[in-house]
Amino acid sequence: MSAIAVSNLSKRFGDTLAVDDLSFTVDPGRIVGFLGPNGAGKTTTLRALLGLIRPSAGSATIEGVAYVDLAEPTATVGAVLDGGSLHPGRSGRNHLRSLAAAAGVSDARADELLTLVSLGDAADRRAGSYSLGMRQRLGLATALLGDPRVLILDEPANGLDPQGIRWLRDFLRGLAGEGRAILVSSHVLAEVAQTADDVVVIHRGRSVAQATMAELMAQRGDGVRVAGPDTARLTELLEAGGASVQPGTDGAILVADRTGEQVGRVIAEHAVVVSELTPAGQSLEDVFFELTGSGEEGPS
Amino acid sequence: MSRLVRSELLKLRTTRTFLGITLAALGLIALAAGVGAAASTYGPSDPSPGRDLLEAGGIAQPFSLVLGVLAVSTEFRHGTITPSLLTVPRRARLVIAKLIAHGVAGLVLGLVAFGLAAALAFPILSARGISSDLGFEAAFEVLAGGLACLVLLAAIGVGVGAIVRNQVGAVMVALGWWIVVEPLLAAIPKVGDSIAKYGIDGAVNATSATSLGAEAELGQVAGGLLLLAYAAIFAAVGIAVLRQRDVTA
Repeated sequence: MSAIAVSNLSKRFGDTLAVDDLSFTVDPGRIVGFLGPNGAGKTTTLRALLGLIRPSAGSATIEGVAYVDLAEPTATVGAVLDGGSLHPGRSGRNHLRSLAAAAGVSDARADELLTLVSLGDAADRRAGSYSLGMRQRLGLATALLGDPRVLILDEPANGLDPQGIRWLRDFLRGLAGEGRAILVSSHVLAEVAQTADDVVVIHRGRSVAQATMAELMAQRGDGVRVAGPDTARLTELLEAGGASVQPGTDGAILVADRTGEQVGRVIAEHAVVVSELTPAGQSLEDVFFELTGSGEEGPS
Repeated sequence: MSRLVRSELLKLRTTRTFLGITLAALGLIALAAGVGAAASTYGPSDPSPGRDLLEAGGIAQPFSLVLGVLAVSTEFRHGTITPSLLTVPRRARLVIAKLIAHGVAGLVLGLVAFGLAAALAFPILSARGISSDLGFEAAFEVLAGGLACLVLLAAIGVGVGAIVRNQVGAVMVALGWWIVVEPLLAAIPKVGDSIAKYGIDGAVNATSATSLGAEAELGQVAGGLLLLAYAAIFAAVGIAVLRQRDVTA
């Protein structure tokens, strides 16, 4: 059985169809990146999965059961939404302990988690003074209270500095290695590229791509851009060798089906002068924009 | 359920709001009981001085109501409703835990409030040579009715806070209805008397057995049952509304 199963899920808010017939699954031990531009319906999907909003149609289940029907919700699923919502006047420790009490988890475990997410020193301060990164880490501690088998994280990298993002990546890898299923949303593909095993890309509430990360990376394609005074001669040499060459900007050429090393060997063999030799495949962002069409709409 | 109640009690006492509201209530009670005991004069037709001053503990009533209103509405204001519902996904259970926790808080607040009123007023009366003895029956009437009011007003507050999600709006609705709207409606000819008798304010006055205007009121037990009915209705509607609501923040 899948750890998470979303099937034909739709959610309408007034005139807006926020999620439109969405289906995907997450298996134990996998990290699934849930991607889409802001407003694509990611948070709505996660909230439906967690029993916070009612689907208009379809279903979203955890280990085959609706979230509200789970016998031990905190031991089954840990979730972070909105960077951990906090009462500004309550300390992080009291926030975590109040939830731990409801979950039947000891204060000792709550304190241990505060140390794990490196909040030990700030735990007794009023949460209103916390940075976004600290709130995210406290949210993560909340999610881990019941030692859950499934983790659901909404934009967990928001507000984290580069070290924090790296820490999060290693942390999630470790948790997935223990056999947990992890669903992590992001509006930046590059953020989950090094973490996720699979990706689900949605746009305007609909699924536009579901693939393994490796398959998605393969779509980037190869290619080399070469500039310099002798590109015309290099074009003849490469085409003689069966390569497909396109003219680029400023007299440069684009070689679609050769690696940089292969082109370099031709250059060395024939003593061609070049001023530049760079990989010219699509970036991950290009792939993402192509899938979601969000490059054309301007910043959201 | 006991662990959920423990969680709610911890939430309640770990913000300054709770401390502020409790201290404000106790400060007003101390003032009323202290000044009343030091300055009031009592004629033969007045209630016994001891009873009159013990009733100052009833000043805690609106404060217990507001604490109840804040139970759910504060969770929506700061978004903590999300982690709360992730921990306790069954919304009725969460609201029931809040009802119990705020009932307990109302009870404790009441014991401290009436205790404070008595502790301040009675020695001052004695020093003035006035008897503070109100008799067991009257003391029981004021205390039992007063505590019941605080518990049931807290429950009404929890219900209103679950129905009106906006925190400030919920406080305004609860206090405004009780303190402003009902007294205005009571001034309407014909129906006014019924509103005064069977409205929230009438039920509170009857339950707490205040010595003012007692002739137009229900008996204490009938008033208590009416207030209990109000609390049950508000709690049930609050649970029903919360169960339907999409929690998006």
